[in-house]
Amino acid sequence: MSTDHNFSVVGKSLPRSDARIKAVGAAQYADDMFLPGMLHGKLLRSPVAHALIKSIDTSAAEALPGVKCVITGQDIPKIKYGNWRLVPESQDEYALAIDKVRFIGDEVAAVAAIDKDSAEEAIRLIKVEYEELPGAYSVEESLADKAPVIHDEYEQTTPNISLDRKIEYGDLDKVFAEADLVLDDVFTVHATSHAYMEPCSCLSEYDHDGRLTIWTSTQTPYFVQCLLASTMEMRENDIRVIKPFVGGGFGGKMEMRPWEFCSAFMARKLGRPVKFTLTREEELATGRRRHPMRIHSKVAFSKEGMLLGKEFNVHLDGGAYNSMGPTACFLCGNFGAMLYNYPNYRYYGAHVYTNKPPAGAMRGFGAPQALFVAETQMNVAAEKLGLDPVDIRLMNAMESGDEIPGVATISSCGFKESLIKVAEMTNWREKRKNLKPGQGLGLGCYSFISGGVFNWFNTRYNFTRAEVRAFEDGTVHLMTMASDIGQGCDTVLRQILAEELGLKVSDIRLTAADTAVTPQADLGTWGSRVTLMAGNAVRKAAQEIKEELFKMVSLKFDLNVIHDLRCGDGKIYPANRPDRAVSFGDAVKMAQRANRGEPIIGYGSYTPRNKGLVTPAFSFGAQVAECEVDKETGAVEVKFMTTAHDCGTPINPMSVEGQLEGSVHMGLGYALSEQFIMKEGKTLTTTFLDYKIPCAEDMPPGVSVHIDTYEADGPFGAKEAGEGLVSPTAPAIADAVYAATGYRCMDLPLTPQKVLASMKKV
Amino acid sequence: MSLPQFTFLAPTSLSEACALLEKHQGKIKIKAGGTDMIVRLSHRAVKPDFLMTLKKIPDLNEISYTPDKGLKIGALALLREVEISPLILEQAPMLARAAHATATVQIRNMGTVMGNVCNASPSADNIPSLVAMNAIIVASSGKKEREIPIDEFFLGPGRSALQANEIAVAIKVPKLAANSGVSYQKISARSKVDIAAVNIGALITLNEEGKCKAVRISMGAVGPTPLRASLAEEFLLNKKITDETLAEAGRLAAEDASPISDVRASREYRKLMVEVMTTRALKEAAGFASQRVVKCKSS
Repeated sequence: MSTDHNFSVVGKSLPRSDARIKAVGAAQYADDMFLPGMLHGKLLRSPVAHALIKSIDTSAAEALPGVKCVITGQDIPKIKYGNWRLVPESQDEYALAIDKVRFIGDEVAAVAAIDKDSAEEAIRLIKVEYEELPGAYSVEESLADKAPVIHDEYEQTTPNISLDRKIEYGDLDKVFAEADLVLDDVFTVHATSHAYMEPCSCLSEYDHDGRLTIWTSTQTPYFVQCLLASTMEMRENDIRVIKPFVGGGFGGKMEMRPWEFCSAFMARKLGRPVKFTLTREEELATGRRRHPMRIHSKVAFSKEGMLLGKEFNVHLDGGAYNSMGPTACFLCGNFGAMLYNYPNYRYYGAHVYTNKPPAGAMRGFGAPQALFVAETQMNVAAEKLGLDPVDIRLMNAMESGDEIPGVATISSCGFKESLIKVAEMTNWREKRKNLKPGQGLGLGCYSFISGGVFNWFNTRYNFTRAEVRAFEDGTVHLMTMASDIGQGCDTVLRQILAEELGLKVSDIRLTAADTAVTPQADLGTWGSRVTLMAGNAVRKAAQEIKEELFKMVSLKFDLNVIHDLRCGDGKIYPANRPDRAVSFGDAVKMAQRANRGEPIIGYGSYTPRNKGLVTPAFSFGAQVAECEVDKETGAVEVKFMTTAHDCGTPINPMSVEGQLEGSVHMGLGYALSEQFIMKEGKTLTTTFLDYKIPCAEDMPPGVSVHIDTYEADGPFGAKEAGEGLVSPTAPAIADAVYAATGYRCMDLPLTPQKVLASMKKV
Repeated sequence: MSLPQFTFLAPTSLSEACALLEKHQGKIKIKAGGTDMIVRLSHRAVKPDFLMTLKKIPDLNEISYTPDKGLKIGALALLREVEISPLILEQAPMLARAAHATATVQIRNMGTVMGNVCNASPSADNIPSLVAMNAIIVASSGKKEREIPIDEFFLGPGRSALQANEIAVAIKVPKLAANSGVSYQKISARSKVDIAAVNIGALITLNEEGKCKAVRISMGAVGPTPLRASLAEEFLLNKKITDETLAEAGRLAAEDASPISDVRASREYRKLMVEVMTTRALKEAAGFASQRVVKCKSS
């Protein structure tokens, strides 16, 4: 379908618009910024996992020279916040702990001082008296009888479960009774860190007119604006959130966070700018992380390999607060039955509080966990039924037009093509038969969403909006709150706009992610929503501009109404009379003159409506891992990764490729080496020495291909790319390790020690 | 993270450096490449009043070899220089392999082998092969030099036999006896760029009958200091090198190891890895020895 599209800017591997400034080191991140009179902030965090705060004595800290302000929970408005504004009782966090701390790292007090050393010294001088409470450090401990209650609000109803979700269709009990094969397994998956390159940082300034400006490393300027307003008891319009360059987020920067509140609160109190920058140790020891989960999955097949149904029970180890856990809890149920046709399905997901750093949104948002289970069970089923893992998937794979009951109908879908392609690229069938000892080949697949449709933030604006201003010099200015956090949406949106208006990317100026300047209404960067949603808004805004300009060209050449007009090559012309062209700039000049000086501005919005319950578009893909296992040490070496995926039209193929390599990197760490080692709520792996993120040298070589599809709901056929692909890597590697050793991993990460333990060596 | 305040000293001669060391005893720290010290400073793990760099002292970075005295590696020789030095690759290629196994090339271009040794971390990459090769640390107090056998150099994690007024100026590595081979083996949680969970250095000298004439095995990250695998060494002496004897030596090495369980590996896993890595190291070393060459490729 898409092969007929003759794009001039879309589909081209253009360099990122921010490549140069980052390469030369000139990009300004929040921590690079200084303002006159600026103070440095530091947080005091709880050293205990669960305790009542009996008293806090800040006198010594306040007396330290250079210290300008010390605040505790007693000094701030007693207003809880959280991203799920639609369910106010889910908002369970104070910026600074009031009366109680719930995890090691919970923010207790904040200091602003003239330099970092004074701020750190002051933090050490604050005396907090805690009355320690028993803690619960796992789902099992939290759900046990007489478990400590972490949030009193749930004591009477569902202790330590903040939220649950059920999905059910079909008749599962009948299926389990009649199926030829039922797999009934319990999996555990672990927490991992976003490990974004830029630790969180923000700088707040309060001006004499009563406006607060905050530059912050965020994926979601609008969330920060709204939640700062509610917690600071200010009007949203009195708060300006600016996103400077951001060094990665991966879901870890999509909430208002205590340092943002504290910097804003102290800046207002003092009338001096206050900056907070977290250390890497703070990030690793106390920061958000991917949800660990305990997943009980029971899945039924016919002897031919047809999927009959699945029961999927998920307990999310949410840590001390909800954070984005409710969304992960909802989505996990969808990811459990998205890739294949499950005629019968029952999901129960529960978000469980524990006395650990809260888990939040992280690349994949429930999918890496759900798909590790789903894909491992597909591989087990294939083996038990004597089928090739590719064949059993082809038999059950979603196709365009298939329905996920009660959720959505799949629009574009290149899943089967992806499967066939990876099998062909890896010579799958032959190679599987000819593995040498210690060698393994494994398969994993995924599907993912292109942004969510569920309005849990309860925004009263459109989901996204764009404003395009056109100028006589042939340039345009795009204003959007879409937030580039390194994923490249500034470039992609310019490509989409340039394509629509027939301009070059260099003709487009962009101002983004400043709540005082860019159009309100954008939920930010998460869930792979930006390309599709902001892209659609940009196209609509451009189309308004085109309508204005088409009138001028039509008038100038006295065109018959039947003419179709085009934008291309910086000109506007009738499709079949390209000689009658007007330059884009001249057309703008004419339109502006015709409108008696009114500037030419186009607006576009996008909100997914009638797009089912989850997302407007689904992406798919398949991945094969080739591994070698050292049977004496248990070490797994990934030798090669082969990927075929369907992201609709890749707006910028080079950018997509970068996403895919990043996904393999993150999936590799998730599968093999990254983990938080914890003891009673204390994170022991707090540096990159011990938190083992794969290094450049650990990256396997690989190839990837795009399967050609065209997503009708996406801009120029585009949909999600790169986030979903974090999911297939772990099941593919685990399957390859099984082929090499006979060890079937159902408990991530797959460490050398576990490989050896399976051989009874340790 | 910012550095704490200190006075930076950059002496241009060894005698000046030793005088400063004497003068500021207890309040001064030394850095060469700084790849360990600067991190420790920024974490406030050390808070010296004075930080002295050795980088301005001439000739401390030399790498030399004479047939009678063997190899000499100056205190400022970079990890990267040792890794690619033709002299080292010729005379003691396992030292190059160990240097190569240290961190990343960016860090190797700053850090020194001596710094890695003096930092005295039990998991240091460059120690086991130096212990296996019976290296000597040359310490200078400005007035006189003394030679410390490497077996006596490490007192505990981060603690060495250097006196408060001494600077380690060079590592001497004796020339290998005929029919000798050396190996360095390492395992860590991540495959490549990583701190060792266990590392082993081994030297074997064979006699004409192919029996073990001499052997030294050093085990890293399994005790507070690098440990010698004495049981394995005693067992192997005068034994013929076979898969069985090497496997038994590995098993005995594991007996001598006293690892702890920590975030990098469990005690049990470390013990098993001592066995596997020791057997592999001995096998490789014996292979080189039996080829009657001391060369091998740096990986």
